[in-house]
Amino acid sequence: MRLTVNGIESEISSPPLTPLLHVLRDELDVTSPKAGCQQGGCGTCTVLVDGEPRRSCLTPVAAVDGASITTLEGVGEPERLSPVQAAFYEKYAAQCGFCTPGMIMAATALIDRKGGPVERDEVLEALGGHYCRCTGYVKIVDAVMAASRGEVGDVQDLPVSEAGEPSVEVHGSPA
Amino acid sequence: MAKHRGRGFATIEYPTGMNQNGDPSQAWIKLKPDGRVDVFSGTVDIGQGSKTVHTQIVADTLGVPYDWVTMDNTNTDSSAVCTGTFASRGTFIGGNAVRLAAERVRERILDIASKELEIDPSDLEIADGEVLAKGSPQKKIGVADVAGAATYNYGELISGSSTALKPFADVDDATGQVEIEPHSAISYAACVADVEVDDETGEVTVLKMVQVYDVGRAINPLLVEGQIEGGAIMGLGLGLLENSYPYYPSVDHRGGEFGAYLGPAFADLPELDNVIIENPSADGPFGAKAIGEMANNAQPPAIANAIHDAVGVWVTEMPATPDRVLAALKAKAEPRRDGKRVIFDEQLSVRTVSSNGGEGYWGVEP
Amino acid sequence: MKAVGARLPRYDGVGHVTGRTRFVDDVRVGKTLWVKALRSPHHHAAITRLDVSKAAAMPGVHAIVTHEDIPRNVYGHLEALGVPGDEPLLAAEDVRYLGQPIAAVAAESEAAAQAAVEAIEVSYEEKPALFDIRKALDPDAPQIHHWGNVYPHYGSYNHRRVRKGNIDWAFEKADVIVEGVYRPQAIEQLPLETQVCTVVPEPDGRLTVYSCTQAMYFSMGVVAAHLQWPLNRLKFVGGTVGGGFGGKVDTATDTICCLLALKARRPVKWRWTREEEMLCSSTRAPWHIELADAVTSDGWILGRRTLTIHDAGAYARFSPYGLTKHAFHHSGAYTIPNLRFDGFVAFTNRVPTTAMRGFGVTSVSFAVETHLNRVAEAIGMDPWELRLKNANRVGDTTGNGVTLKDPSTVPVTLAAAERVGIELPAEYRAMTSDPRGGDLLPEHLAAQQNLSELNGGGH
Repeated sequence: MRLTVNGIESEISSPPLTPLLHVLRDELDVTSPKAGCQQGGCGTCTVLVDGEPRRSCLTPVAAVDGASITTLEGVGEPERLSPVQAAFYEKYAAQCGFCTPGMIMAATALIDRKGGPVERDEVLEALGGHYCRCTGYVKIVDAVMAASRGEVGDVQDLPVSEAGEPSVEVHGSPA
Repeated sequence: MAKHRGRGFATIEYPTGMNQNGDPSQAWIKLKPDGRVDVFSGTVDIGQGSKTVHTQIVADTLGVPYDWVTMDNTNTDSSAVCTGTFASRGTFIGGNAVRLAAERVRERILDIASKELEIDPSDLEIADGEVLAKGSPQKKIGVADVAGAATYNYGELISGSSTALKPFADVDDATGQVEIEPHSAISYAACVADVEVDDETGEVTVLKMVQVYDVGRAINPLLVEGQIEGGAIMGLGLGLLENSYPYYPSVDHRGGEFGAYLGPAFADLPELDNVIIENPSADGPFGAKAIGEMANNAQPPAIANAIHDAVGVWVTEMPATPDRVLAALKAKAEPRRDGKRVIFDEQLSVRTVSSNGGEGYWGVEP
Repeated sequence: MKAVGARLPRYDGVGHVTGRTRFVDDVRVGKTLWVKALRSPHHHAAITRLDVSKAAAMPGVHAIVTHEDIPRNVYGHLEALGVPGDEPLLAAEDVRYLGQPIAAVAAESEAAAQAAVEAIEVSYEEKPALFDIRKALDPDAPQIHHWGNVYPHYGSYNHRRVRKGNIDWAFEKADVIVEGVYRPQAIEQLPLETQVCTVVPEPDGRLTVYSCTQAMYFSMGVVAAHLQWPLNRLKFVGGTVGGGFGGKVDTATDTICCLLALKARRPVKWRWTREEEMLCSSTRAPWHIELADAVTSDGWILGRRTLTIHDAGAYARFSPYGLTKHAFHHSGAYTIPNLRFDGFVAFTNRVPTTAMRGFGVTSVSFAVETHLNRVAEAIGMDPWELRLKNANRVGDTTGNGVTLKDPSTVPVTLAAAERVGIELPAEYRAMTSDPRGGDLLPEHLAAQQNLSELNGGGH
């Protein structure tokens, strides 16, 4: 079997029913897809198989023989983030970061498929099977919508601003 | 059969730091010969963002640009003690540890700058990576030059270490009274939940939650919002969805699969409105209190109160699943009145369920 | 330019969004063995036979550990705080919950390790199990611990107590007494990263522990205690965790991996499956809370009587601590002059419960805040006004005698009301956290003060 992972073609020696997740992580040392539940329930192992999002934990490698696989490592570089990556970074859509690989892969596929601005309902639908315990999803939705509109800046410019004053005056405070 | 809207709210408080204290965090900081800052702390970042908050605190305490500061919290050989990431102690106690260490580093920078500029340290300040004479800012030296002079001329490593520790608070076991505060600060929050209850299915939908948090000082408002939003959805899960033991206290039908457990998902996301109040703590870094742990505490009661507002029933066994809401709607239970006593939930009480009326629990000395 | 107060992105955010952040499961060490555990299939049983010899002889198996291999098998997570240990790292005589670890295997592959686990010969004698904390002290309740069914070490008491003011006076003086029962549930911490650990034996005799712990120094102390080692033989590597929420304060994998790495003289790795994470890792605790509030018809809360039972599961872990925290916050964001609180940590034959976000207080916040709406309904008062009237003010004293310096009950409540357009009477809108003025100082508080002094403190 052969796979092209992030543009690099490799011969695969794992047994044919090995989950794609294990082939990526253990044979090819591509570690961004995570073993979150290995039951198809959480979405953090999601990769693109010929451009379509798939749960790599439930996909036997033989079923994708010859396919082109994209993982988060293949989406952008730290110095050259993709719009979805930049939006996740700027809008604080990743807290612990463990669900992030699957979220960004699904969001990237959604935006590629749509080819223009995506709406909130479309994000909820496309990412609906992805689980995040940290963020409460709000900033993930915001990030995907912003990325689809190109509303992302140059991440090398850290948005340092003047400190804000307290928004509400509080009586009875010692300070 | 109809859908009913209701509103409920709750106001809560939550302590910062381990209950009864005695939980140190330590930090040490050193300067490289070009003035860049290495922070060593044992505080684990479980996603809440302590690496970010700690580096922000250090940058401003020293007066250097944020991107001069790097943080190493990766191992116990290079970092000193941190009791751990729990009890909402990261920003307050871990943050105070790096702040106090940075203040010592700042003193060393000013001492050496004083020698170079021949100005008393008390007449110097640091801003944007430069040591300046107060009132005559043309007299200045870069922190980078100070660090270089320290390394190559004075033979000194500019460094500082510190511990944030509040002493252990003993408790009088007879009365629960303490001699000293058993916490570092107390944060407060309020949550208003708007819900819709379907009286045919028992299903409850949270439409909107307005949440107000007093965090003392938002070191990083973006990260505070992350805690508010993440906590809100976790609180929604507690209030409506999640249960490790669906038939508690029975252990039957406990699910081992991710898909068998109702953690909140994208589809459960209501409209959220966040308000941050800054009522500073006297002792926290830059006035900060805390937020992480309390962020899922206000929603469950706000939701329970909203359900009552919508359909007039109390669901006090969490979570308010459709079967519980339907059962409550069917029972339409009124509290029993006995003189001036108004008694709810008698069927759940230890007095009812225990074979001897809960004597072991209720019969303790007054 | 100030950093504090700025909306800076995460320090490690670029690593997160590019998949470069290295979590424990991403650590790669050559010749690493896989770990699997033999777990109890019963809720409560005596182990009558345990023989690992056949399993140890299987191909690919490098080490098996049982309780006999552990220098100090029983060590409590809170021993440093004076809470005696009750939980064995690996069960020796009794198993007290379904999924409790009994032995662990290190083998060449996950499959070989699992096969060896299944080859361990073990027999049990089942015992009756207890699940309902309300029945834990019943005369006929199954006995779980040498301690009995409640944690007994709050000084000379078997429960955590709070006594403030004169509770009998409050209940006598009250116009209405409102009683209710609140039962917050167990939930999963549910981090996406399951419990995971890699331990590498180093040439100098040290162990490097790649840990997902939320508390590296705490976990290092726990491992050192079990191994009876000084701290300088251990190096914990971590600091970046794929979600914790309290569940990774327990030292679930680190010690067993250390024991296996030492015995096998090879690096070992243990990554819990999702099933193990869901069924064998600790949950948030279920609680049972009974409140009775003594109130006046105009909305002063004179007193509160509370019974709380905390379902610890099979072992204490952090529960005695969580209950004390619960006790200290059982009056919520309000000042109540007379309190009587009795709280118990009860054992059941379920997975031990542990810390989770809001530990000890999430439960009591639910109880108090739901109860206050019932109180408001019972006396026909607006629930916003009830809360504002009884709110913590600067200088008020909490149930355990702490004077409040910077409370915010009033500002957060008023801000929430304003945000949703609740129109409160002017006297409530004008409230602050400042100490109550003469007009608002309730007669009963002054009376209570006098009574307390007459009674020598009122306890």
